[in-house]
Amino acid sequence: MSTVSSQSKKLRRYSLMERRNFPWIYAFLFPTLLLFAVFYVEPILQTFLTSFAKFNGYTTAEWSFDIHNLGGTIFRNYTKLFSMSSFPPALRNLFWWSLIAMTLHVGIGTAVGFLLYQKLRGWKFVRIIFMVPNVISGAAWAMIYRFMFNDDIGVINNLLRKVNPDLHIQWFYSSPAAFWAITFTWVFYAVIVALVVLGDLMAIPASLHEACEIDGANGFQKLIHIDLPLCRNAIGTSILLSVTSRIAMYENIALTSRGGPGNDTYGLALILTKSITDFNYGLANATAMLMFVFGIATMQIINKVFRMDDSVY
Amino acid sequence: MENITNPALRKKLEKAGRSRLVGKKKPLTAGRILYLFCAYVFLAFIVLVSAYPIIWVIMSSFKSNAAILGNPFSLPDTFNLDAYLSVLNQYSFGTYALNSLITAGGSTVVSIIFYAMAAYVIAKYNFPLKNFIYIILTLTLLVPGHTKTQPIFQMIMNMGLYDTRTGLWLVYLSGGIAMSLFVLKANFASIPMDLNEAASIDGSGFFRTFWQINLPLARNGLATAGILMFLGNWNEYYYAALLTSSEANRTLPVSLSYFNQAFSYDYTRMFAALTIVVLPGIIIYAFFQEQVTASVASSGVKG
Repeated sequence: MSTVSSQSKKLRRYSLMERRNFPWIYAFLFPTLLLFAVFYVEPILQTFLTSFAKFNGYTTAEWSFDIHNLGGTIFRNYTKLFSMSSFPPALRNLFWWSLIAMTLHVGIGTAVGFLLYQKLRGWKFVRIIFMVPNVISGAAWAMIYRFMFNDDIGVINNLLRKVNPDLHIQWFYSSPAAFWAITFTWVFYAVIVALVVLGDLMAIPASLHEACEIDGANGFQKLIHIDLPLCRNAIGTSILLSVTSRIAMYENIALTSRGGPGNDTYGLALILTKSITDFNYGLANATAMLMFVFGIATMQIINKVFRMDDSVY
Repeated sequence: MENITNPALRKKLEKAGRSRLVGKKKPLTAGRILYLFCAYVFLAFIVLVSAYPIIWVIMSSFKSNAAILGNPFSLPDTFNLDAYLSVLNQYSFGTYALNSLITAGGSTVVSIIFYAMAAYVIAKYNFPLKNFIYIILTLTLLVPGHTKTQPIFQMIMNMGLYDTRTGLWLVYLSGGIAMSLFVLKANFASIPMDLNEAASIDGSGFFRTFWQINLPLARNGLATAGILMFLGNWNEYYYAALLTSSEANRTLPVSLSYFNQAFSYDYTRMFAALTIVVLPGIIIYAFFQEQVTASVASSGVKG
């Protein structure tokens, strides 16, 4: 009884007119919620549950539990994942790539965003061109970089040979060159960061800059004390998006070094796809869960550090 | 002068003759020149790394293999289309492009209508669980797409849709939920609610008010979200590579990984093939540049 009355109290918050629309409203939400359930909720639940199961492509998932042998039963896939020879390099690469993404990648994007905001001559041209690498397929971009770094025909080595004629770096096939070659395929292309930062800059009220000028602040002081703090949200969002892209990075590796030489440039997404083609579904889903946890953790940290929930103004 | 919006303040500053503050152009001091120099060097670098790789590929596709090996920087001395003709003959690019168009375009058209319906009611009406629904739907932006790989692979297998365009189309339907909702919700929210009330007084039902009044007014948002979603699906490689195997169902991005082996040392044809794959995306962008920029700026998602 009490639930009925509390429910009707809740519904009373909505006028009769509003309530009359409810069937339509939920009908309008239905297709989207169905897609959400089928392509997000169910897969993520299945990934979570079967990451603890013995699960391959031939039999159904099988759970077992032994308190004295957790690593061999319920955590079997995680044990397997952590003991793979490609796992330590994948984790190490993720760490360094995330760090480079947070600093250099977001830094470059933010700098471009600030320069675009000043509307220097030709700023629209820069904005248009900067977007181009993002509108073509990531697979194609990875292939282009493969050839750019080719020892015979690639422009990079041929340019370096103008300085040192004996230079022959096999960029994607030797360490640590492969790590850096893969880094170059994405590190400069920060147009999303630039546009998100530009959006926040444009939202700064003109009165703030006027007040600043009356107080006699110079351009640098304005940048440090007004513009950068007010772009806090944009920079936080950019870091979040660029780190989650590093967690999921696939084409940049799969179409260039394929994780080599050895396992030096391995990534989690590569372990995941390899496990699936090997029909090692449990292992694949343990890897996926790890990626998911890294994504959520990044979001929590960024939210805390950049106080994303607090209003900026 | 445009920077100062407060008229009283502007007058005061003008009186004080502080042209440095109110003037639009800053005076060219030595420091300013140095600053501008560094800024332009940096921007030139950005333009170079963004455009040169593609220009290099296109230029090389007109050169002979010997010319590519001899000097990778040289301009093509002839406008030689042989590589294109031979690549187009050898591979069914028409099929790949059609597959890309069907899966990416087909899923965009259907899902944009679904997301528009959801964004419309979230923007315009009050109902229980509204905020909760909006938040969980937009949180999908943060789920790494690969997390769901195995369940989706299995689902497509179980439905008997492995290596079909239908299977890929189905997977692409769910892409871009969060981005579309951001863009479309803002768009519908900017359409005055009075219109709905007027329509309702005139006897227009819920669906007609949406379809004939709100949807046409939201066409900018629809175009913005639709183009970004289309580009994202058009360029998608991961699921396309995983869920198709035969040549008949191959999409353009996936075709790239096959050229790799096919043309190992025939660079001219490799570059011609790359150009054919890359060009459609650039052409679409050239036509819808404003929408692509606007959608990325408002949602922070790449195509």
